[in-house]
Amino acid sequence: MITLTHFLIVSACIFCIGLYAVLAKRNAIMILVGIELMINAAILNFVAFGKYDKLHYSGQVFALFAIVLAAAAVAVGLAIILNVYRHYKTINPDNITDLRD
Amino acid sequence: MSGLFNISPIPASILVVGLPFVAFLIQALLGKKSISGIFSLAAIILSTLISGLFVFTDIWQKAPVSYTVDWFTIGNKTVTIGILLNNLTVLMQFIVCIIALPVHIYSKAYMKGDPGIHRYWMYLSLFCFAMLGLTVSKNLFMLYIFWELVGFASYLLIGFWFTKNTATEANKKAFLVNRIGDLGFLIGLSIIFSLFGTWDLLELFGDAGIFAQGIDKNTGLITAAGICFFIGAMAKSAQFPLHVWLPDAMEGPTAVSSLIHAATMVAAGVFLVSSIFPLFNDLVLLLIAIIGSITALSAAYFALCQYDIKKVLAFSTVSQLGYMMVAVGIGAWDAAIFHLATHAFFKCLLFLCAGAVIHEMAHHKEHSGQDFDPQDLRNMGGLRKYMPKTFVLMGMASMALAGFPLTSGYLSKDAIVISAFEWATHQGGLFIILPITLVFVSLLTAFYIGRLMFKAFFGTLRVPKNEQQHVDLHEAPRQMLIPMFFLGICCFFFVFSFNPFSYHQAGILEGFSVQYSFAEVHSLHLAIPTLLTLGTVLVWLVGWNWYVKNRYPLRSDSAFLIWGERQLGLNELYKKAFVDSTMSLTRFSYWWDRHIVDGTVNGAAYVARSISRAIDWIDRYIVDGLVNTIAGTTYYIGHLLRWVQNGRIQNYLGFAFTIILIGIVYLIFR
Repeated sequence: MITLTHFLIVSACIFCIGLYAVLAKRNAIMILVGIELMINAAILNFVAFGKYDKLHYSGQVFALFAIVLAAAAVAVGLAIILNVYRHYKTINPDNITDLRD
Repeated sequence: MSGLFNISPIPASILVVGLPFVAFLIQALLGKKSISGIFSLAAIILSTLISGLFVFTDIWQKAPVSYTVDWFTIGNKTVTIGILLNNLTVLMQFIVCIIALPVHIYSKAYMKGDPGIHRYWMYLSLFCFAMLGLTVSKNLFMLYIFWELVGFASYLLIGFWFTKNTATEANKKAFLVNRIGDLGFLIGLSIIFSLFGTWDLLELFGDAGIFAQGIDKNTGLITAAGICFFIGAMAKSAQFPLHVWLPDAMEGPTAVSSLIHAATMVAAGVFLVSSIFPLFNDLVLLLIAIIGSITALSAAYFALCQYDIKKVLAFSTVSQLGYMMVAVGIGAWDAAIFHLATHAFFKCLLFLCAGAVIHEMAHHKEHSGQDFDPQDLRNMGGLRKYMPKTFVLMGMASMALAGFPLTSGYLSKDAIVISAFEWATHQGGLFIILPITLVFVSLLTAFYIGRLMFKAFFGTLRVPKNEQQHVDLHEAPRQMLIPMFFLGICCFFFVFSFNPFSYHQAGILEGFSVQYSFAEVHSLHLAIPTLLTLGTVLVWLVGWNWYVKNRYPLRSDSAFLIWGERQLGLNELYKKAFVDSTMSLTRFSYWWDRHIVDGTVNGAAYVARSISRAIDWIDRYIVDGLVNTIAGTTYYIGHLLRWVQNGRIQNYLGFAFTIILIGIVYLIFR
């Protein structure tokens, strides 16, 4: 039997993979992919906990919202990356250090 | 004098004094352009005419005139300046004029072609101004100012050829020695002012003056004042210990030597002691007489042994000034002034003749291309053949100097010697040494002037002739001879007295009519002149034998002659005693300055530097160190954390998650 704990563990694993990708990848696209993974881990948690609300399915509804928002966020992120590339001729975040003091 | 041309004596005498000053100013303004000396000459001619026509004739033997203006007031004492015209001052002024005039004319020829001639006329006019001003000063302070000016002008004139080392040495020496006298004068002035509160000659010494009212003259202060004034006169009139400057002063042009160092400036001392005569008490007078006789004797001895023609005359001047001082010392200051007057003429003439001789010898030196000293008597000889007029004139002046009858010198010298004998008879005892010294000096005088004449004018010329065996010595130019002729005439008795054998009828002595403190001794008036004349003739015979017939009995290296030529080592003594000690003092001061004063300063500087170095160390390592440590610590801490802000977005995220993780862990394990 697959319990809630299994879902949470899978979700945690996906979140950690996403987190790693966000922190360690040298390519902005891969960071965006990492973010996507982390959002999906969160959506998985929504869906998993959704079994406690059999009346309204609010978990599934929020998951759908989150998916749409994630898609929108990806679109915005890709647009930013494209502009960054145009400006810096690179998308390696290590080379873009304009935020430093 | 009457009508339009009558100028009253006071403005006339101011004019006499002022004209040379104007000439001096013009000459100074024109500078190098004015080499003819026409202004100086014109000024002195006018001065002489005015002095003779309007001052001398108006005042001589008449009532004295004076004019005073206030100069400045200190407290309730007012210092005045003014003009005093009495017999003494107008006579003196007239003598200065009448001597200066021929010298100016003579200078025109003598100094012709000298590159510094414009300066010469300037200085000469300045000197005349100072000397003429000195003679008519009413106030001792004013007299002192002119006295200093005379000294300064003489300094300039002695050092006229300032490129010659000896000339600059001589003018320094003259100036310094004169300073000693000036100091004496100044102290005397101070004493007089503190005692009587006035410097006015009339108020002090006039007929109704302080001294005429009979005050006690034997106080210490008056004696001191008298001695101080006499020291002033000693330096100017070259009396014994301070005479050393006069022979050296012969470095100036001969015309200057003639005017200044024979006739006028050196007479200023005698003039001073005569005009303040009532000041002196018996003690000071005795001192004056003794100094005078020492001067007369020593200078006559030095004159015997000199080889430089001008130095012989210089020492003869010193000796004659000694005579005048003796006359003042015995109370016969009228005789002193009489001798001053006669001496001025014949000594001036002697110098001008010597100048002519030197002039010709220098020409001969130039033309023949030989090297010899044109002033050295040993190089002369036989000049009588080449310069007969000069020879005759110089012979006349020499006779006057020796006191030969029919000359002016005979009258004035007899006046002094006879008065001295009468004074000694009156005083009695050892005082008789003094007139005997004078007689002896008189014989020495005859001998040295005879020696000069025989050596220079007789025998044969001692320098080698040039190739053609031709001696191009000739008579001096007319412009030089005319003044000499004029002075030559003044060497005779009739200028001063119509009786050639008795000085009592001399106009100058009658003019002063001084009351002597001693009685007249009639037998002396016959004995002394006879003795002196016979002695003079005898001495000349000896001289003739020695120098002309070449029967010279003395070895040239005898101590007597060598010491005489070296002036008894007086110059060396002064050099050792005063110059060298001053030099040692300056060396010591230099050492003191160098090592003690500088050492103190340098030591203080070293200490200050050490202290500042210590403070610097403290500042650098303690104060700065503290600040720097704090700053450094702050910087280090900042540096530790600054790498966090590296601008890498992933790092920021990493940190954020780390902190959240720590927060969660904290919440879990709380």
